[in-house]
Amino acid sequence: MSLKHKTPMLDELEKGPWPSFVTEMKKAAKKSPMAEDGLGQLEKSYQTKLGYWKHGGIVGVLGYGGGVIGRYSDLPEEFPEVAHFHTIRINQPSGWYYTTKALREICEIWDRYGSGLTNMHGSTGDLVLLGTNTESLEPLFAEYSSRGWDLGGSGSCLRTPSCCLGQSRCEWANYDTMDVIYNLTQEYQDELHRPAFAYKFKIKAAGCACDCVASIARSDCAIIGTWKGDILIDQAEVKKYADGGMNIQDEIVGMCPTECVSYDGKELKINNPQCNRCMHCIAKMTRALRPSGERGATICIGSKAPIVVGSLLSWVVVPFIKVEAPYTELKELIARIIEWWDDNAKPRERIGELIEVKGMRPFLEAIGVPPQPQQVKEPRKDPFIFFKDEDFEKIYTKDKY
Amino acid sequence: MEEEEIKEKIFAYSTQMKGKKKLKEKDIIKKIAADTGLEKDVVKKALRAMINVGKLMYSYGGGASSVEIPSDEYLKEKGML
Repeated sequence: MSLKHKTPMLDELEKGPWPSFVTEMKKAAKKSPMAEDGLGQLEKSYQTKLGYWKHGGIVGVLGYGGGVIGRYSDLPEEFPEVAHFHTIRINQPSGWYYTTKALREICEIWDRYGSGLTNMHGSTGDLVLLGTNTESLEPLFAEYSSRGWDLGGSGSCLRTPSCCLGQSRCEWANYDTMDVIYNLTQEYQDELHRPAFAYKFKIKAAGCACDCVASIARSDCAIIGTWKGDILIDQAEVKKYADGGMNIQDEIVGMCPTECVSYDGKELKINNPQCNRCMHCIAKMTRALRPSGERGATICIGSKAPIVVGSLLSWVVVPFIKVEAPYTELKELIARIIEWWDDNAKPRERIGELIEVKGMRPFLEAIGVPPQPQQVKEPRKDPFIFFKDEDFEKIYTKDKY
Repeated sequence: MEEEEIKEKIFAYSTQMKGKKKLKEKDIIKKIAADTGLEKDVVKKALRAMINVGKLMYSYGGGASSVEIPSDEYLKEKGML
């Protein structure tokens, strides 16, 4: 069956050995007029170098403020099937585990109410369904919710928390990331579905510093697994790596960010107090090295993409916190962080930006965390000299200084 | 104060601000709580009740959300008018 729109420019994106979203859209277009017009409008955008989507407005399911992103075509006469092309975010299961039955269920419902196009997954972590009209939103939501699915977050809310697969498959996970995220998702249902914040707030949980979920770059609050003990070394396995051709000096010692690893050609040594638990050496020498001792997480705050100010990476705020069910300590800390941000932020201001504006002192005081060396973001920054008015009084009166 | 009265005040404020400022939930709660002397949670409960029945609705643009009075057209689409 031939498609009604010619797509010479999009066809270029099908060439080469890699997968192509154009090919997938064409497959969907054979049975979905919406996908077909979507291709047509996209081709037009490529030809004219202009976008034709309007975004936002009042669109959603009753009672919810998140989970649906309104999208409308600027060319409804030319591409009537995509006059409405709303995006739906479905809250993904922790660790993105699905049974094939669940995936079929999602797709079967989506084929009935939408374009059939999906995005597995969006950058926040949700399962994204691309393209439906306003009339279909309520019945679509009713179908999904009756089967146990829920919408994810969008707008000025707590965005859908997400995590790496953690202890379900990974020996390096220092805590149960999936359980934490499930608990936080349940705890913050209201904040997730009812956008009451100044702007978005994202939580991601990574079991270790390998950070497979990219929490350090893509979440306002990154919960990154760490440990307190030494890195245990199996010297016989180190020798096997060396005998197998690994250049330990270059690949391990030379790439340690804190220069705490040394190797004399026979024995590998780690100066553990200097180690910042980055996981590089452990990930490279999986059979020779492993963490030990007490496990928990480091809380990093502040990363974001560049909108109001430039992009930021998260930095350490709490060097170590125990992460054990029912996660009371963690939940209380997150509640204090969100409260301070929500009380002080201007519209569209992320927490990382707010800390840069207000400084670390009021932030740390508000969340009840003492200043610590690990919180220094970069040299010559965050010196933590917390002078208060009474200190100056003492200077003037020579009472203390 | 009865919840219906609080809802009326919320709706009046939303109407007054329509087209002037995109109101966040917090803006409405702060204003009504300050005007009436009620606890913020009480105002929040009334606001949420209005959102639940479509009297007010969440709006979204550029990643940020606000609370607005829905149009008749939208309420018709939802089968509420």
